Amino acid sequence: MFTTHLKIAWRNLRKNALFSLINIFGLSIGLAITLLLFLFISHELSYNSMYPKKDRIHRILIQTNSEFDNQTWATAPPVMASALTKEVTNVESAARLYKHNFGKSASIRANEKNFTENMFYWVDHALLDIFDINMVKGNSFNALTRPNTVILSESAAKKYFADQDPIGQILLVDNSKRLEVTGVYQDHPKNSTLDAEIMASSNGAWFYERTSWGNVSFETYCLLKEHVSLQSTEIQMAQMLDQNVAKEGQWYSLSLQPLDKIHLYSASYHNSYASYVGDIGEVRNLGFLAILILLIACINYMNLTTAKSQKRAKEVGVSKAMGAQSKSLFSRFYIETGLVTGISVVLGVLLAMLLLPAFNALTDQNLSLQLMANGTFIGVILGVWLLTTVLSGIYPSVYLSRFLPKEVLSPSQKQDQGNILVRKGLVVLQFAASVILIVGVLVIYKQTQYIQNKELGFSPENVMAISIRGLKDGQNKNALAQEFRRIPDVKAVSFAQGYPGLDVSGYVLQKDGTENERGLNIQMNTADSEIAEVLQLKFLSGRSLPKNKSAKDTLVEVVLNKKALDYLGFTAEEAIGKNANIFYQQEARIVGIVDDFNFASLHEPIGAYAFHNNTNEGKSFVLVRLNTTNLAQTVSHLKSSFSKIAPNLDFSYSFLDQNLAQLYQREKRAAKVSIIGSVLAITVACLGLFGLAAFTVEQRRKEIGVRKVLGASVMGITHMLSKEFVKLVLVAMVLAFPLAYWIMSNWLEGFAYRINIGWIVFVISGAIALIIALLTVSVQSINAALTNPAKSIRTE
Amino acid sequence: MITIKNLKKSFRTEEVETLALNNVNLTVEEGEFAAIMGPSGCGKSTLLNIIGMLDNPTEGSYNFAGHEVAGLKESQRTQLRKGNLGFVFQSFNLIDELTVYENVELPLIYLKMSKAERKQKVREVLERMKIAHREKHFPQQLSGGQQQRVAISRAVVTNPKLILADEPTGNLDSKNGIEVMNLLTELNQEGATIVMVTHSDRDSHYAHRVINLFDGQIVTESKNRAVGAAL
Repeated sequence: MFTTHLKIAWRNLRKNALFSLINIFGLSIGLAITLLLFLFISHELSYNSMYPKKDRIHRILIQTNSEFDNQTWATAPPVMASALTKEVTNVESAARLYKHNFGKSASIRANEKNFTENMFYWVDHALLDIFDINMVKGNSFNALTRPNTVILSESAAKKYFADQDPIGQILLVDNSKRLEVTGVYQDHPKNSTLDAEIMASSNGAWFYERTSWGNVSFETYCLLKEHVSLQSTEIQMAQMLDQNVAKEGQWYSLSLQPLDKIHLYSASYHNSYASYVGDIGEVRNLGFLAILILLIACINYMNLTTAKSQKRAKEVGVSKAMGAQSKSLFSRFYIETGLVTGISVVLGVLLAMLLLPAFNALTDQNLSLQLMANGTFIGVILGVWLLTTVLSGIYPSVYLSRFLPKEVLSPSQKQDQGNILVRKGLVVLQFAASVILIVGVLVIYKQTQYIQNKELGFSPENVMAISIRGLKDGQNKNALAQEFRRIPDVKAVSFAQGYPGLDVSGYVLQKDGTENERGLNIQMNTADSEIAEVLQLKFLSGRSLPKNKSAKDTLVEVVLNKKALDYLGFTAEEAIGKNANIFYQQEARIVGIVDDFNFASLHEPIGAYAFHNNTNEGKSFVLVRLNTTNLAQTVSHLKSSFSKIAPNLDFSYSFLDQNLAQLYQREKRAAKVSIIGSVLAITVACLGLFGLAAFTVEQRRKEIGVRKVLGASVMGITHMLSKEFVKLVLVAMVLAFPLAYWIMSNWLEGFAYRINIGWIVFVISGAIALIIALLTVSVQSINAALTNPAKSIRTE
Repeated sequence: MITIKNLKKSFRTEEVETLALNNVNLTVEEGEFAAIMGPSGCGKSTLLNIIGMLDNPTEGSYNFAGHEVAGLKESQRTQLRKGNLGFVFQSFNLIDELTVYENVELPLIYLKMSKAERKQKVREVLERMKIAHREKHFPQQLSGGQQQRVAISRAVVTNPKLILADEPTGNLDSKNGIEVMNLLTELNQEGATIVMVTHSDRDSHYAHRVINLFDGQIVTESKNRAVGAAL
């Protein structure tokens, strides 16, 4: 029986080659994209799952209590790790992780060569035990206990020392610190939040024995004792804070973040050092997209299969007349469905493999086929096969096996109105989903355009940031500036701690006489006079930082932005000469007010920002405004000037506008994935519509023939048939528009600066859906209208 | 009215070429009532389709009321067909979704006639076919004889010069069959030319002339002297 069924199923597939192809093609695309998205999602979910003590590892979070813009930071004060180990009984051990120079790159000289290392961390040696770091050379107990020691990842060891034994070699960091290599560790897994290529011992670093409860710059991980709860630990931590910091000085509170939440639930947190932070929202959206596409593909199968029902009906009738039972016919159609979905799954997997490199490129991922080769994934594929079969097969099987022989074998068949409704409903559903996707793509595109073209309040174009960490103060810097200024394409040069798009130092601005209140978070950037010219800031009053300043002059000058000014409550003119209460005991005189500019991503509203000349912070960059038509030449000029002054430092540079664009990587990726997903979903939906059009034409063959005999034109028939589908698409739009509006409004909420979803988006989406639908349907309609009516009205 | 010379029609499938009509020569005068007879598969319907301009011959010429039809494009055939030809089928071929009235109205719509005019014509013909009381019904709600009367109404509502009937009584009982044949005869007497394909000897006696087709060729033609002799 089973083989007979399989045989009939197979022959049926071959007989209806076109339908089968459309069916299998649609399902394969749907499955391939579902598998790829699943691969991506499972990779995101697998982050940090490889660490043996993962259930006990937590990261310290800090919630700021300032008056405005409360934030959560992923970093803690330098004293935190030792305080936790000593004062919180639930904590077994704790370790700090500090990315070089507050998250910047390091210039490294090794083996007589200069390198720029972006993944250079200073760590407490306990970190190796907490995360069970696997050592290839050296051992984790003592590799980082001595001062000025460092361990390298395997890839870093290869990069810096090629085939030489790295143990005992020296790294010269930023031309000032000499570190001895004492070990090599296995590269961190791709799905780990740890991304250090080099881990240097905190012993010997500037912060090693700091006992400050401020300076919140250290990612701190702690290992809890067995069987203690997160809640009780957090209570202990609050007590610890109370004991060490007077209540009025507590500008933050503490909490713990479990390791398995760190990757996906930190997108909105500040100061996290990991180079790639996931987003649970994105994972959910992609999961939704995957399900949507699979559903559309399954609906397709239902539509296309029942579309052929007229042809199959006779076969069912004859089988039943010969004694077949509904049950056996039911299983027979399921076998057929299983066959089609089986072929589609195989093709889908192959297609997914083929598309993986493109998918990786698109999503900036490095997913490998090996991920597909494990048991879980095979289980998932089988599950998807089963699900698709059950889902796709249910309607055709029930519908077809229910036919009664007396009805289907009699010459005058009647149309089953109920089933037509179901089929139309399915198409409406498909098209509604497609319309939502089209609206989504348009809104994402518009918002991305808006971000790219928004006036930022300063000019990031043609500004280059060159890392100068390790350059000696005074003489060297002046010499470098002079060298640079000699290059004709260089318009302005400024030394600064950071630049817009990069976090600088977070301070709290307070009004005079209200020192005990919470104040306003303010970003402080050490710079010099020419910063205004380099960034082209707009002054509302006053002037830039003073040009020349004697070493004995300890007065600090600041240039505030408007947001900070508004908080202080002065007018721009009043503020000049007043004191800004930022550096506790130290006075900071306001010398200028600039208009607000977007120094962070457009997800956030503009906060307070200031440029100052306090010498307590180092300047890590020289910012250079260029005016050039030959960029390559200018860069090579800059490079040779740089090497002349600093032969031991690597020339590492970036452009401000490109750095800003990096802030929207996730949005860009979302845009790309949703565009591709939508195009595929719409393609698959069109295949379904094509099927339904074929079905309708089949149903109305006789009518079309009669109308033609009576004088209807080809145009008239095409119009008549297409009208039906236009109605369906219109219904789909009515359903989809409010939902799409709601979904995309929610998405836009994530941006402080955003577009309005205008009606034009809906007009365009509607037009696109309608045109696509009409093109698809008219193929069938015109075909039907052109058929010789003599064929369709013959009944013998 | 119809002059057919050396007409051939072949159908080609992947393997074989079938000659459905072979060298058919036929003339039908205006006002004539001709019956085409022959066994199944002899080419009756193919011939009727060509006469009805639903199909083109493979070879030969077909002249309809002074127009050469063979080789015309689909749209030209449609143009020539409109209003000149009426069709009556064995299985009625009414459109299930349209009422009796709407079915009959359809050819007039395609002739772009005004609504008022259409209404008048449809009413007239429905009265005449004694089916006016059911004009709001759908085809499924009617008996076979009633359905065929509607089909005939639809065929004649445009006052066609030629009525083509493909086994018009094939799906009817004898009482309804006779009624339909009487209707056709009446229409013929009023001036319409009729070409009818039939299996039924009884029906063929209503015609002036019987053309016997066998394997795609006309084998005999005989004239019925006494029309309606079977009655």
